[in-house]
Amino acid sequence: MNIRRHPVAAPLSLLILLFMWLPLIVVAVNSFNTDTIMAGWGGFTGHWYSLAWNNQDVRTGLKTTLIIAVASSVLSLIVAVTGALWWRNASPKARAVYDGLIFARIILPEVVFATALFFLFLKVHFSLGLTAIVIGHTVWNSAYAAIIVQARMAGLDPALEEAAADLGATPWRAFRRVTLAALMPAIIAAGLLAFTFSFDDVVTSVFLQGASDSPLPVVILGMIRFRITPEINAIGLMVMLFTVTIMSLAVIIYATAGSLGRAGRRGSMLDMYR
Amino acid sequence: MTTTTTTAAPAVDLAGVEKRFGDFVAVRHLDLQIQPGEFFSIIGPSGCGKTTTLRMVAGFEDPTAGRVSVGGRDMTGVRPYRRPVNTVFQSYALFPHLDVFENVAFGLREARVGKAEVRERVAEAIRLVQLEGREGSRPRKLSGGQQQRVALARALVNRPEVLLLDEPLGALDLKLRTEMQNELKDLQRGVGVTFCYVTHDQGEAFSMSDRVAVMNLGLLEQVGTPEDVYHRPASLFVADFVGKANRFHGRVESGGPGTYTVAIEGIGQRRVPGPDGLAPGAEVAVVVRPENLRLAPAQDGDGVGASVVDAAFLGAVRTVRLQSSRLGELTAAAGGAAGAPVPGSTVSLTWDADHAWLVPTAETPRIAAT
Repeated sequence: MNIRRHPVAAPLSLLILLFMWLPLIVVAVNSFNTDTIMAGWGGFTGHWYSLAWNNQDVRTGLKTTLIIAVASSVLSLIVAVTGALWWRNASPKARAVYDGLIFARIILPEVVFATALFFLFLKVHFSLGLTAIVIGHTVWNSAYAAIIVQARMAGLDPALEEAAADLGATPWRAFRRVTLAALMPAIIAAGLLAFTFSFDDVVTSVFLQGASDSPLPVVILGMIRFRITPEINAIGLMVMLFTVTIMSLAVIIYATAGSLGRAGRRGSMLDMYR
Repeated sequence: MTTTTTTAAPAVDLAGVEKRFGDFVAVRHLDLQIQPGEFFSIIGPSGCGKTTTLRMVAGFEDPTAGRVSVGGRDMTGVRPYRRPVNTVFQSYALFPHLDVFENVAFGLREARVGKAEVRERVAEAIRLVQLEGREGSRPRKLSGGQQQRVALARALVNRPEVLLLDEPLGALDLKLRTEMQNELKDLQRGVGVTFCYVTHDQGEAFSMSDRVAVMNLGLLEQVGTPEDVYHRPASLFVADFVGKANRFHGRVESGGPGTYTVAIEGIGQRRVPGPDGLAPGAEVAVVVRPENLRLAPAQDGDGVGASVVDAAFLGAVRTVRLQSSRLGELTAAAGGAAGAPVPGSTVSLTWDADHAWLVPTAETPRIAAT
């Protein structure tokens, strides 16, 4: 029996899609709804947006989130790129271990890492706060970044740097003009991905924020605990649009950079992510 | 490109060069000179040390012992980016993030050549390899043959003293290979740059090269013109590597230098040309190429009798497999146009005295013939 042609398949898919998207549509619509309790459509307003924009907690949260997201994505990239450079010349055994560690960070529940880091920081008397959150985000964000950068690294002909040296480039120039330049689409995509993941994060942030300012997602969580106002919808839609824009940018950059053509490929379990 | 006479220093001079990787000896005591303006090829089976040799000239590997000179200058300790040589890599190693123009311009930009001159020289190099109009393409948009041309232009634009080519046609299909062989040869004659070409394909090397070196297991077996290497092989390895060879076991009785009287097992005394320095009593193999074996009807008296096992039609020639009670299994080449020898029929084999060559066999103490 062909499952794809089954009479139930299409309506069921539609239902699932609707179920997934309906909440988002409701949020979007209500962000412009005059009706405070959101019982029905009370007319169009931009009031919630100006309210959200002038909410001091939201502003502080946004600033905190941006600082954390930028810092942790830069750190993630450093970890991912240096790791990929090492990985290129590592023995198959060392590579397998490294790849395994990357997957562990992706597969294990975030809450496990957050708890572990929380206890670790307490144990070594590292004060919780912004820095702790940045480290926490970097731990799992760098795994995603590493997968993207490594996939491209695997597609790079190992002879490229030799070719550059052969054409008169010093090792540093060869690295910059060839390896780093060829990796750049992956680096940008990985950076944007890490940024959005960090921007969205609640769990790690809650565990590690200590007494410092909360990042935006935690602020939002705090707001709905008291009272759900249409203001939340406005914030939600803005966060959504922002995240989607950055994610799309990442995908577009990576896709248009395209394949690397014929090249000395090296096998990796990460190839399935290409 | 100013030095094209053989009186100048060799373009490449390898003196006592050795390369070890741990316990593995990739290249053993190699002495080799490549003359300016020469199309020189190094051939041998994979693992023979030919690519390692090329990489030592390029500077990617340092010799464990010995000295590499380019244009009379000692290259010991000179990093690849300071050497007056350029390489065409087997994988081409084109920069995937740069277009054709920038790939070709890469070396000039590293050398801080002025903008106007870069434009001019890149355009000239692109014209040379007939890629006009593709300047803006990324390498992955090009066919294998076009990528090959970009790699050539990218190397030649720097006007190297020596161009090193590492199996550059390996990835191309047969028809394109043949075309590129002709083009490479014309290109080399045109620009006059010394080419050092590495390949495992003897036919490819023969068709283009002024001289070839044959390597095996890290050892240089022979250096000479393609004709030398093919018709006057210095060892059984060379005889077999560069083409099909019929070999008959024998012993030198007298003679030399130049021509010897040899007792060939099964058929008796013959006059056979060979290298200098073979002493009477030396064990030798008499090598006769298939196309030099003449087949005649059996009634012709003085030949060696053999029966036809099989005749394979290959177009221009037929490969005839023969079985002789006196010489064992043989291969002969007959013209494709002539009638096919009938399997099972008996023929008489002869060869011209100067169409055979003596090769000392391994057990023979070799007297240095220089």
